Amino acid sequence: MSDPTHPDDFGLEEQDDLLAAEYVLGTQPAAERRAARERAEVDGAFAARVSAWEERLSPLNAGYDEAPAPDLLPQIEARLFDDVAAPGMAAPASPARGGLLGRLAGGFGWRGGALASALAAAVVFLAVVFWPPAPAPAVLQADLTTEEADLQFTARWDPVDGQLAMTRVTGEPAPEGQDYELWLIGEDGVPRSLGLLREPVTQLATVLAPGVTLAISLEPEGGSPEPAPTGPVLAAAAISESS
Amino acid sequence: MLHGVARQDRAAFREVYRHSAPKLAGVLTRMLGDKAEVEDALQEVFIRVWQRAAQFDAARGAPMGWLITIARNAALDRLRARPQARGVSFAAPRRDQPDADPLDDVPAPGPGPEAAVLAGSDARRIMDCFDELDADRAAAVRGAYLQGMSYQQLAERYAVPLNTIRTWLRRSLLRLKECLDR
Repeated sequence: MSDPTHPDDFGLEEQDDLLAAEYVLGTQPAAERRAARERAEVDGAFAARVSAWEERLSPLNAGYDEAPAPDLLPQIEARLFDDVAAPGMAAPASPARGGLLGRLAGGFGWRGGALASALAAAVVFLAVVFWPPAPAPAVLQADLTTEEADLQFTARWDPVDGQLAMTRVTGEPAPEGQDYELWLIGEDGVPRSLGLLREPVTQLATVLAPGVTLAISLEPEGGSPEPAPTGPVLAAAAISESS
Repeated sequence: MLHGVARQDRAAFREVYRHSAPKLAGVLTRMLGDKAEVEDALQEVFIRVWQRAAQFDAARGAPMGWLITIARNAALDRLRARPQARGVSFAAPRRDQPDADPLDDVPAPGPGPEAAVLAGSDARRIMDCFDELDADRAAAVRGAYLQGMSYQQLAERYAVPLNTIRTWLRRSLLRLKECLDR
Protein backbone atom coordinates (compact mmCIF):
# COMPACT_ATOMS: atom_id res chain seq x y z
CA MET A 1 0.00 0.00 0.00
CA SER A 2 2.97 2.31 0.14
CA ASP A 3 3.44 4.53 -2.82
CA PRO A 4 6.36 6.89 -2.31
CA THR A 5 5.49 9.15 -5.21
CA HIS A 6 4.24 12.61 -4.48
CA PRO A 7 1.91 14.70 -6.67
CA ASP A 8 4.81 17.10 -7.20
CA ASP A 9 6.57 14.38 -9.15
CA PHE A 10 4.33 15.07 -12.12
CA GLY A 11 5.43 17.61 -14.74
CA LEU A 12 3.59 20.90 -15.28
CA GLU A 13 1.70 19.73 -18.36
CA GLU A 14 0.75 16.55 -16.58
CA GLN A 15 -0.32 18.50 -13.52
CA ASP A 16 -2.78 20.48 -15.63
CA ASP A 17 -4.06 17.40 -17.32
CA LEU A 18 -4.46 15.62 -14.00
CA LEU A 19 -6.34 18.55 -12.51
CA ALA A 20 -8.73 18.38 -15.45
CA ALA A 21 -9.08 14.61 -15.00
CA GLU A 22 -9.72 14.96 -11.29
CA TYR A 23 -12.31 17.62 -11.97
CA VAL A 24 -14.14 15.30 -14.37
CA LEU A 25 -13.80 12.37 -11.99
CA GLY A 26 -15.07 14.62 -9.22
CA THR A 27 -12.76 13.51 -6.43
CA GLN A 28 -11.58 16.96 -5.38
CA PRO A 29 -12.88 18.73 -2.28
CA ALA A 30 -15.29 21.62 -2.84
CA ALA A 31 -12.75 24.45 -2.91
CA GLU A 32 -10.47 22.74 -5.45
CA ARG A 33 -13.45 21.77 -7.53
CA ARG A 34 -14.63 25.36 -7.63
CA ALA A 35 -11.15 26.58 -8.55
CA ALA A 36 -10.96 24.08 -11.42
CA ARG A 37 -14.37 25.11 -12.74
CA GLU A 38 -13.46 28.77 -12.61
CA ARG A 39 -10.24 28.08 -14.41
CA ALA A 40 -12.09 26.18 -17.15
CA GLU A 41 -14.29 29.23 -17.63
CA VAL A 42 -11.37 31.54 -18.37
CA ASP A 43 -8.64 29.19 -19.65
CA GLY A 44 -9.51 27.67 -23.00
CA ALA A 45 -6.63 25.19 -22.97
CA PHE A 46 -7.72 23.89 -19.59
CA ALA A 47 -11.36 23.75 -20.74
CA ALA A 48 -10.20 21.62 -23.69
CA ARG A 49 -8.45 19.24 -21.30
CA VAL A 50 -11.66 18.94 -19.30
CA SER A 51 -13.66 18.18 -22.45
CA ALA A 52 -11.14 15.58 -23.53
CA TRP A 53 -11.44 13.81 -20.19
CA GLU A 54 -15.23 13.94 -20.28
CA GLU A 55 -15.00 12.23 -23.64
CA ARG A 56 -12.44 9.65 -22.49
CA LEU A 57 -14.42 8.59 -19.46
CA SER A 58 -17.86 8.80 -21.06
CA PRO A 59 -18.08 5.05 -21.84
CA LEU A 60 -18.38 4.58 -18.08
CA ASN A 61 -21.80 6.24 -18.33
CA ALA A 62 -23.13 2.87 -19.43
CA GLY A 63 -22.66 1.83 -15.81
CA TYR A 64 -25.54 4.03 -14.71
CA ASP A 65 -28.90 2.26 -14.62
CA GLU A 66 -32.10 4.10 -15.36
CA ALA A 67 -34.29 5.03 -12.40
CA PRO A 68 -37.93 5.99 -12.17
CA ALA A 69 -38.20 9.71 -12.81
CA PRO A 70 -41.34 11.52 -11.67
CA ASP A 71 -42.77 14.07 -14.07
CA LEU A 72 -41.12 17.21 -12.79
CA LEU A 73 -41.76 19.19 -15.96
CA PRO A 74 -44.44 21.41 -14.40
CA GLN A 75 -42.04 22.54 -11.66
CA ILE A 76 -39.16 22.92 -14.08
CA GLU A 77 -41.20 24.94 -16.55
CA ALA A 78 -42.58 27.13 -13.79
CA ARG A 79 -39.07 27.94 -12.67
CA LEU A 80 -37.79 28.47 -16.17
CA PHE A 81 -40.28 30.11 -18.41
CA ASP A 82 -41.11 33.18 -16.37
CA ASP A 83 -37.57 34.39 -16.77
CA VAL A 84 -37.43 33.44 -20.38
CA ALA A 85 -40.56 35.42 -21.05
CA ALA A 86 -38.88 38.58 -19.80
CA PRO A 87 -39.71 41.43 -22.16
CA GLY A 88 -37.19 42.59 -24.71
CA MET A 89 -35.39 39.27 -24.98
CA ALA A 90 -36.96 37.96 -28.14
CA ALA A 91 -35.41 39.04 -31.39
CA PRO A 92 -35.44 37.82 -34.97
CA ALA A 93 -33.18 34.91 -35.74
CA SER A 94 -30.14 35.65 -37.82
CA PRO A 95 -28.80 33.36 -40.54
CA ALA A 96 -25.55 32.86 -38.64
CA ARG A 97 -27.33 30.51 -36.27
CA GLY A 98 -27.88 27.77 -38.80
CA GLY A 99 -24.64 26.00 -38.00
CA LEU A 100 -25.46 25.52 -34.38
CA LEU A 101 -28.95 24.44 -35.30
CA GLY A 102 -27.67 21.76 -37.59
CA ARG A 103 -25.13 20.50 -35.09
CA LEU A 104 -27.59 20.15 -32.25
CA ALA A 105 -30.35 18.72 -34.40
CA GLY A 106 -27.88 16.26 -35.91
CA GLY A 107 -26.50 15.38 -32.52
CA PHE A 108 -29.81 14.60 -30.91
CA GLY A 109 -30.47 11.82 -33.33
CA TRP A 110 -31.90 9.34 -30.88
CA ARG A 111 -35.44 9.42 -32.02
CA GLY A 112 -35.13 9.99 -35.67
CA GLY A 113 -36.62 12.82 -37.59
CA ALA A 114 -39.45 13.98 -35.36
CA LEU A 115 -37.27 14.67 -32.40
CA ALA A 116 -34.51 16.08 -34.52
CA SER A 117 -36.84 18.60 -36.08
CA ALA A 118 -38.40 19.44 -32.74
CA LEU A 119 -34.94 20.00 -31.40
CA ALA A 120 -34.02 22.02 -34.42
CA ALA A 121 -36.94 24.25 -33.55
CA ALA A 122 -35.73 24.31 -29.98
CA VAL A 123 -32.35 25.51 -31.02
CA VAL A 124 -33.77 28.31 -33.13
CA PHE A 125 -35.78 29.39 -30.15
CA LEU A 126 -32.90 29.01 -27.72
CA ALA A 127 -30.63 30.87 -30.06
CA VAL A 128 -33.16 33.65 -30.34
CA VAL A 129 -33.66 33.89 -26.62
CA PHE A 130 -30.11 33.49 -25.44
CA TRP A 131 -28.04 34.89 -28.22
CA PRO A 132 -27.53 38.60 -28.40
CA PRO A 133 -29.83 40.29 -30.85
CA ALA A 134 -28.21 42.95 -33.01
CA PRO A 135 -27.93 45.79 -32.24
CA ALA A 136 -26.96 44.56 -28.81
CA PRO A 137 -29.14 45.78 -25.94
CA ALA A 138 -27.53 47.85 -23.25
CA VAL A 139 -25.46 46.60 -20.38
CA LEU A 140 -27.53 46.47 -17.19
CA GLN A 141 -26.24 47.28 -13.75
CA ALA A 142 -27.21 47.71 -10.14
CA ASP A 143 -25.63 48.61 -6.81
CA LEU A 144 -26.55 46.43 -3.88
CA THR A 145 -25.55 47.98 -0.58
CA THR A 146 -26.58 47.03 2.92
CA GLU A 147 -28.22 49.60 5.14
CA GLU A 148 -25.07 49.87 7.23
CA ALA A 149 -23.00 50.11 4.03
CA ASP A 150 -20.67 47.45 5.42
CA LEU A 151 -21.30 45.22 2.41
CA GLN A 152 -21.61 46.35 -1.16
CA PHE A 153 -21.93 44.39 -4.38
CA THR A 154 -22.15 45.78 -7.88
CA ALA A 155 -24.04 43.82 -10.51
CA ARG A 156 -23.16 44.12 -14.18
CA TRP A 157 -24.97 42.07 -16.80
CA ASP A 158 -23.54 41.93 -20.28
CA PRO A 159 -26.18 40.94 -22.85
CA VAL A 160 -23.51 39.91 -25.34
CA ASP A 161 -22.37 36.90 -23.37
CA GLY A 162 -25.31 36.68 -20.94
CA GLN A 163 -22.91 36.86 -17.99
CA LEU A 164 -23.83 38.62 -14.79
CA ALA A 165 -20.70 39.74 -12.90
CA MET A 166 -21.26 40.25 -9.19
CA THR A 167 -18.37 42.15 -7.62
CA ARG A 168 -17.97 42.52 -3.87
CA VAL A 169 -16.77 46.12 -3.61
CA THR A 170 -16.95 46.47 0.15
CA GLY A 171 -17.14 43.96 2.97
CA GLU A 172 -16.03 40.47 3.87
CA PRO A 173 -17.04 37.04 2.57
CA ALA A 174 -20.01 35.49 4.37
CA PRO A 175 -19.19 34.23 7.88
CA GLU A 176 -17.99 30.64 8.30
CA GLY A 177 -20.85 28.22 7.71
CA GLN A 178 -22.91 30.74 5.75
CA ASP A 179 -23.18 31.98 2.17
CA TYR A 180 -24.44 35.06 0.40
CA GLU A 181 -27.10 34.01 -2.10
CA LEU A 182 -28.21 36.11 -5.04
CA TRP A 183 -31.89 36.21 -6.02
CA LEU A 184 -33.76 37.46 -9.03
CA ILE A 185 -37.22 38.84 -8.34
CA GLY A 186 -39.33 39.25 -11.46
CA GLU A 187 -42.64 40.96 -12.04
CA ASP A 188 -44.48 38.14 -10.32
CA GLY A 189 -42.61 38.89 -7.09
CA VAL A 190 -41.34 35.33 -6.83
CA PRO A 191 -37.62 35.09 -5.94
CA ARG A 192 -35.44 32.73 -7.95
CA SER A 193 -31.95 31.82 -6.87
CA LEU A 194 -29.18 32.83 -9.24
CA GLY A 195 -26.39 31.33 -7.17
CA LEU A 196 -23.97 31.82 -4.29
CA LEU A 197 -21.60 34.76 -4.02
CA ARG A 198 -18.44 33.29 -2.54
CA GLU A 199 -15.74 35.01 -4.52
CA PRO A 200 -14.75 38.67 -4.82
CA VAL A 201 -16.14 38.43 -8.36
CA THR A 202 -18.74 35.83 -9.27
CA GLN A 203 -19.81 35.24 -12.88
CA LEU A 204 -23.29 33.85 -13.40
CA ALA A 205 -25.00 32.94 -16.66
CA THR A 206 -28.51 34.34 -16.73
CA VAL A 207 -30.99 36.39 -18.71
CA LEU A 208 -32.04 39.75 -17.29
CA ALA A 209 -34.29 42.60 -18.36
CA PRO A 210 -34.39 46.17 -17.07
CA GLY A 211 -36.54 46.58 -13.99
CA VAL A 212 -36.09 43.16 -12.42
CA THR A 213 -34.84 43.23 -8.85
CA LEU A 214 -31.70 41.57 -7.56
CA ALA A 215 -31.46 40.75 -3.86
CA ILE A 216 -28.78 39.22 -1.65
CA SER A 217 -29.66 37.15 1.39
CA LEU A 218 -27.52 35.51 4.05
CA GLU A 219 -28.11 31.76 4.00
CA PRO A 220 -26.72 28.59 5.52
CA GLU A 221 -23.64 27.30 3.72
CA GLY A 222 -24.62 25.90 0.34
CA GLY A 223 -27.56 28.25 -0.02
CA SER A 224 -31.17 28.35 1.05
CA PRO A 225 -32.66 24.88 1.51
CA GLU A 226 -35.97 26.33 0.33
CA PRO A 227 -36.95 27.70 -3.08
CA ALA A 228 -37.00 31.19 -1.48
CA PRO A 229 -34.62 33.00 0.87
CA THR A 230 -34.65 31.71 4.44
CA GLY A 231 -32.12 34.18 5.85
CA PRO A 232 -32.19 37.95 6.14
CA VAL A 233 -32.23 39.93 2.91
CA LEU A 234 -29.17 42.17 3.17
CA ALA A 235 -29.55 44.31 0.08
CA ALA A 236 -31.79 44.66 -2.95
CA ALA A 237 -31.88 46.89 -6.02
CA ALA A 238 -33.54 47.06 -9.42
CA ILE A 239 -31.23 46.53 -12.36
CA SER A 240 -31.23 49.20 -15.05
CA GLU A 241 -29.36 50.34 -18.13
CA SER A 242 -25.99 51.79 -17.32
CA SER A 243 -25.62 55.44 -18.01
CA MET B 1 -43.20 32.29 -37.02
CA LEU B 2 -41.29 32.86 -33.86
CA HIS B 3 -44.30 32.07 -31.73
CA GLY B 4 -44.74 28.79 -33.49
CA VAL B 5 -41.09 27.99 -32.94
CA ALA B 6 -41.47 28.88 -29.30
CA ARG B 7 -44.39 26.51 -28.92
CA GLN B 8 -42.52 23.74 -30.65
CA ASP B 9 -39.58 24.38 -28.45
CA ARG B 10 -41.48 23.58 -25.31
CA ALA B 11 -42.58 20.37 -26.93
CA ALA B 12 -38.98 19.55 -27.77
CA PHE B 13 -37.84 20.35 -24.25
CA ARG B 14 -40.49 17.98 -22.90
CA GLU B 15 -39.40 15.35 -25.34
CA VAL B 16 -35.81 15.66 -24.16
CA TYR B 17 -37.05 15.34 -20.59
CA ARG B 18 -39.12 12.25 -21.32
CA HIS B 19 -36.30 10.63 -23.18
CA SER B 20 -33.48 11.34 -20.78
CA ALA B 21 -35.03 11.82 -17.31
CA PRO B 22 -34.89 8.11 -16.35
CA LYS B 23 -31.19 7.87 -17.20
CA LEU B 24 -30.37 11.16 -15.47
CA ALA B 25 -32.45 10.12 -12.47
CA GLY B 26 -30.35 6.93 -12.44
CA VAL B 27 -27.15 8.99 -12.40
CA LEU B 28 -28.42 11.21 -9.58
CA THR B 29 -29.78 8.27 -7.57
CA ARG B 30 -26.49 6.42 -7.77
CA MET B 31 -24.57 9.49 -6.67
CA LEU B 32 -26.91 11.20 -4.20
CA GLY B 33 -29.14 8.39 -2.92
CA ASP B 34 -31.72 10.52 -1.19
CA LYS B 35 -34.95 10.59 -3.22
CA ALA B 36 -35.97 14.15 -2.40
CA GLU B 37 -32.52 15.41 -3.27
CA VAL B 38 -32.55 13.46 -6.52
CA GLU B 39 -35.78 15.17 -7.55
CA ASP B 40 -34.45 18.54 -6.57
CA ALA B 41 -31.24 17.95 -8.50
CA LEU B 42 -33.15 16.66 -11.52
CA GLN B 43 -35.02 19.96 -11.72
CA GLU B 44 -31.75 21.83 -11.44
CA VAL B 45 -30.22 19.71 -14.19
CA PHE B 46 -33.01 20.45 -16.66
CA ILE B 47 -32.86 24.13 -15.87
CA ARG B 48 -29.18 24.02 -16.77
CA VAL B 49 -29.97 22.00 -19.89
CA TRP B 50 -32.33 24.72 -21.04
CA GLN B 51 -29.89 27.47 -20.21
CA ARG B 52 -26.90 25.81 -21.81
CA ALA B 53 -28.43 24.08 -24.82
CA ALA B 54 -26.65 26.60 -27.01
CA GLN B 55 -23.33 25.31 -25.68
CA PHE B 56 -23.98 21.75 -26.78
CA ASP B 57 -21.52 20.79 -29.45
CA ALA B 58 -22.36 17.60 -31.29
CA ALA B 59 -18.83 17.44 -32.63
CA ARG B 60 -17.62 16.85 -29.10
CA GLY B 61 -19.84 13.99 -28.11
CA ALA B 62 -23.24 12.37 -27.87
CA PRO B 63 -26.21 14.33 -26.52
CA MET B 64 -26.76 11.83 -23.72
CA GLY B 65 -23.12 12.21 -22.69
CA TRP B 66 -23.57 15.96 -22.54
CA LEU B 67 -26.70 15.58 -20.41
CA ILE B 68 -24.98 13.10 -18.08
CA THR B 69 -22.04 15.48 -17.64
CA ILE B 70 -24.46 18.17 -16.47
CA ALA B 71 -26.14 15.71 -14.10
CA ARG B 72 -22.84 14.43 -12.69
CA ASN B 73 -21.59 17.97 -12.10
CA ALA B 74 -24.80 18.91 -10.31
CA ALA B 75 -24.55 15.80 -8.12
CA LEU B 76 -20.84 16.34 -7.40
CA ASP B 77 -21.44 19.94 -6.37
CA ARG B 78 -24.08 18.74 -3.93
CA LEU B 79 -21.93 15.88 -2.59
CA ARG B 80 -18.94 18.13 -1.97
CA ALA B 81 -21.14 20.71 -0.23
CA ARG B 82 -22.41 18.11 2.26
CA PRO B 83 -21.17 18.52 5.83
CA GLN B 84 -19.44 15.12 5.66
CA ALA B 85 -17.37 16.44 2.79
CA ARG B 86 -15.62 18.78 5.20
CA GLY B 87 -13.58 15.82 6.32
CA VAL B 88 -14.93 15.29 9.82
CA SER B 89 -17.03 12.18 9.97
CA PHE B 90 -16.70 10.00 6.95
CA ALA B 91 -17.06 6.90 9.04
CA ALA B 92 -20.55 7.97 10.10
CA PRO B 93 -23.42 6.50 8.10
CA ARG B 94 -25.09 8.83 5.69
CA ARG B 95 -28.06 10.63 7.15
CA ASP B 96 -30.35 9.65 4.30
CA GLN B 97 -29.42 5.97 4.29
CA PRO B 98 -28.67 5.07 7.89
CA ASP B 99 -27.98 1.42 7.19
CA ALA B 100 -26.20 1.71 3.90
CA ASP B 101 -22.47 1.76 3.53
CA PRO B 102 -22.04 4.18 0.64
CA LEU B 103 -19.13 2.08 -0.54
CA ASP B 104 -21.02 -1.18 -0.69
CA ASP B 105 -21.62 -1.04 -4.35
CA VAL B 106 -18.15 -0.14 -5.44
CA PRO B 107 -17.57 -2.42 -8.39
CA ALA B 108 -15.76 -5.59 -7.47
CA PRO B 109 -12.22 -6.04 -8.71
CA GLY B 110 -11.88 -7.33 -12.22
CA PRO B 111 -14.32 -6.53 -14.97
CA GLY B 112 -17.16 -4.74 -13.22
CA PRO B 113 -20.87 -5.11 -13.90
CA GLU B 114 -20.44 -2.31 -16.41
CA ALA B 115 -18.55 -4.70 -18.63
CA ALA B 116 -21.74 -6.56 -19.35
CA VAL B 117 -23.60 -3.48 -20.53
CA LEU B 118 -20.77 -1.70 -22.25
CA ALA B 119 -20.88 -2.18 -25.95
CA GLY B 120 -19.21 -0.63 -28.94
CA SER B 121 -15.59 -0.01 -29.69
CA ASP B 122 -15.13 3.01 -27.38
CA ALA B 123 -16.55 1.05 -24.49
CA ARG B 124 -14.42 -1.98 -25.25
CA ARG B 125 -11.34 0.18 -25.43
CA ILE B 126 -11.92 1.76 -22.05
CA MET B 127 -12.62 -1.67 -20.55
CA ASP B 128 -9.39 -2.99 -22.04
CA CYS B 129 -7.54 -0.03 -20.60
CA PHE B 130 -9.10 -0.56 -17.21
CA ASP B 131 -7.91 -4.15 -17.40
CA GLU B 132 -4.34 -2.89 -17.68
CA LEU B 133 -4.68 -1.26 -14.24
CA ASP B 134 -4.46 -3.05 -10.91
CA ALA B 135 -7.93 -4.26 -9.98
CA ASP B 136 -8.09 -2.06 -6.88
CA ARG B 137 -7.13 1.02 -8.80
CA ALA B 138 -9.53 0.37 -11.65
CA ALA B 139 -12.30 -0.05 -9.09
CA ALA B 140 -11.30 3.19 -7.40
CA VAL B 141 -11.50 5.14 -10.66
CA ARG B 142 -14.86 3.59 -11.52
CA GLY B 143 -16.19 4.16 -8.00
CA ALA B 144 -15.11 7.77 -8.11
CA TYR B 145 -16.73 8.32 -11.47
CA LEU B 146 -19.98 6.45 -10.99
CA GLN B 147 -20.67 7.25 -7.36
CA GLY B 148 -18.90 10.54 -6.98
CA MET B 149 -16.58 9.32 -4.23
CA SER B 150 -14.15 11.92 -2.90
CA TYR B 151 -10.47 11.35 -2.21
CA GLN B 152 -11.39 11.32 1.46
CA GLN B 153 -13.90 8.52 0.97
CA LEU B 154 -11.55 6.54 -1.25
CA ALA B 155 -8.76 6.89 1.31
CA GLU B 156 -11.02 5.40 3.97
CA ARG B 157 -12.28 2.69 1.69
CA TYR B 158 -8.78 1.51 0.83
CA ALA B 159 -7.31 2.41 4.23
CA VAL B 160 -4.47 4.46 2.80
CA PRO B 161 -3.45 8.07 3.46
CA LEU B 162 -5.13 10.79 1.44
CA ASN B 163 -1.97 11.70 -0.49
CA THR B 164 -1.40 8.08 -1.37
CA ILE B 165 -4.87 7.58 -2.80
CA ARG B 166 -4.48 10.77 -4.76
CA THR B 167 -1.20 9.59 -6.24
CA TRP B 168 -2.75 6.20 -7.00
CA LEU B 169 -5.59 7.77 -8.86
CA ARG B 170 -3.41 10.24 -10.69
CA ARG B 171 -1.10 7.46 -11.89
CA SER B 172 -4.10 5.38 -12.93
CA LEU B 173 -5.57 8.31 -14.85
CA LEU B 174 -2.30 8.89 -16.70
CA ARG B 175 -2.10 5.22 -17.61
CA LEU B 176 -5.70 5.26 -18.79
CA LYS B 177 -5.02 8.29 -20.92
CA GLU B 178 -1.90 6.80 -22.36
CA CYS B 179 -3.81 3.61 -23.18
CA LEU B 180 -6.91 5.34 -24.60
CA ASP B 181 -4.93 7.78 -26.73
CA ARG B 182 -2.70 5.01 -28.05
